[in-house]
Amino acid sequence: MNLTQKITSLDTFLAYSIALEEEAADRHDELADMLDVHNNPGVAATFRKLAHYSRLHAQEIRDHSKGRSLPVIAPWDFDWENMEGPETADIGAVNYLMNTAQALQIAMGNEQRAHDFYYQFSQQSQDPEIRAMAGEFAEEEKEHLDLLKMWMDSTDESVDEQVYDPDPAHMPE
Amino acid sequence: MNQSNAPIQIKPKDYKSAIKPVWCPGCGDFAVLNAITKALAFLELPKEDVALISGIGCSSRIAAYTSVYGFHGVHGRALALAAGLKAAREDLTVLVAGGDGDGLSIGGNHFIHACRRNMDMTYIIMDNRVYGMTKGQASPTTAPDWGDSKLTPGGTGIRPFQPAGLALSAGASFIARGFTGDPNGLARMLVAAIEHPGFSFIQVLSPCPTFRPEQMNWKHHVQAFEEETSSDPLLAAQRIQADDGMSTGIIYQEDVPVFQPGNGGAPGDAVRFESEFEI
Ligand SMILES: Cc1ncc(C[n+]2csc(CCOP(=O)(O)OP(=O)(O)O)c2C)c(N)n1
Ligand code: SF4
Repeated sequence: MNLTQKITSLDTFLAYSIALEEEAADRHDELADMLDVHNNPGVAATFRKLAHYSRLHAQEIRDHSKGRSLPVIAPWDFDWENMEGPETADIGAVNYLMNTAQALQIAMGNEQRAHDFYYQFSQQSQDPEIRAMAGEFAEEEKEHLDLLKMWMDSTDESVDEQVYDPDPAHMPE
Repeated sequence: MNQSNAPIQIKPKDYKSAIKPVWCPGCGDFAVLNAITKALAFLELPKEDVALISGIGCSSRIAAYTSVYGFHGVHGRALALAAGLKAAREDLTVLVAGGDGDGLSIGGNHFIHACRRNMDMTYIIMDNRVYGMTKGQASPTTAPDWGDSKLTPGGTGIRPFQPAGLALSAGASFIARGFTGDPNGLARMLVAAIEHPGFSFIQVLSPCPTFRPEQMNWKHHVQAFEEETSSDPLLAAQRIQADDGMSTGIIYQEDVPVFQPGNGGAPGDAVRFESEFEI
């Protein structure tokens, strides 16, 4: 049974949506911290900004949920398709030499997966309230994706850039 | 889907300290930190009731990154420190963490005795099959033919330890294997380990992208054990032997009397000892 059939109440859908955005925000902050510590402030600031946007979206969903009683779901009881939420960046996708374009590419992948998650609900849920809300969220993710594309177009960095560090911090002995 | 209506008051983030981890970007140890904080938040344990003891190594830095009591100890001696702490403060939830080098090389002897002693604590080995902190030497869990370190050209040629098998034969009462690619599953496993009365051991497959970049492919090889947790050591041993070391789940769990000095005839009134050493 796919998730759009398993989630049959708007409250559960909203709980999933908040978790999706919060987990993404926490991961973006975590990536920002990693890059900060490794002296890559430009990319750290990019991830920090992305965390801010995910958090804004989580707050928006929380506002939609005012007056409702959402279920409390343990992190491991979310039935995500993969091991983490669809908007959560792969923790292994970063490295200390990466540039802003590469960070934005990761972010675009996250937004695309979040869009697809909501879009699927907007098309397949049996519940008309879920379909409507999911459609709205999918539209917002699409807007985020467009903004990221504009941001990407405005950088003069390339996603293919390979930075060479002549004195890497870690050399196997 | 398990939905309870009891609100979770404490957030995982509340268990993180203000210190930013210096681990390499992408290091598996980040996920262990997240899983620990999620487990503690789920259990709603007050920070002052938890202590995290570690040894030396990249992974052992974890103690500084949480806001619970911490002790970043001596190489290979985290379990000894933890045993002392637990003896003196039975009320604390004691977590112990470190690497495969810390726990199975220099600390190997402490590990086997901690397993058989069965004090109530949870031990996490972040297994990346390498010494990360000292720049990539072979550890006791490294495959014999791994030759990327100049110290062991062509590999060590020595068969690696099976941490789960070692724990089982040494008498551990809770044995599990987790993976950092599934931080939420790992958090659930940690909850079960912390709730287990006695010594609970979790071997966490935690990639080192810097010295073992090929481990970033682990996510394609790790799968859950098909069998349920067993309380039969024979069945557990068979499962461990038959597996390629990449299956995750709680392998073995058994109710065994918990050792606590002062209970069951063992000497050890911590307060009395303390007064004897007063100057
Ligand atoms: C008594 C002592 N011997 C040796 C060392 C050097 N040393 C520091 S960390 C380490 C091994 C770390 O490997 P592991 O425990 O696997 O942790 P990782 O860094 O991979 O997380 C060694 C041998 C030390 N600090 N103290
Ligand atoms: S060297 Fe390896 S174990 Fe150490 S922080 Fe870097 S990735 Fe992690």
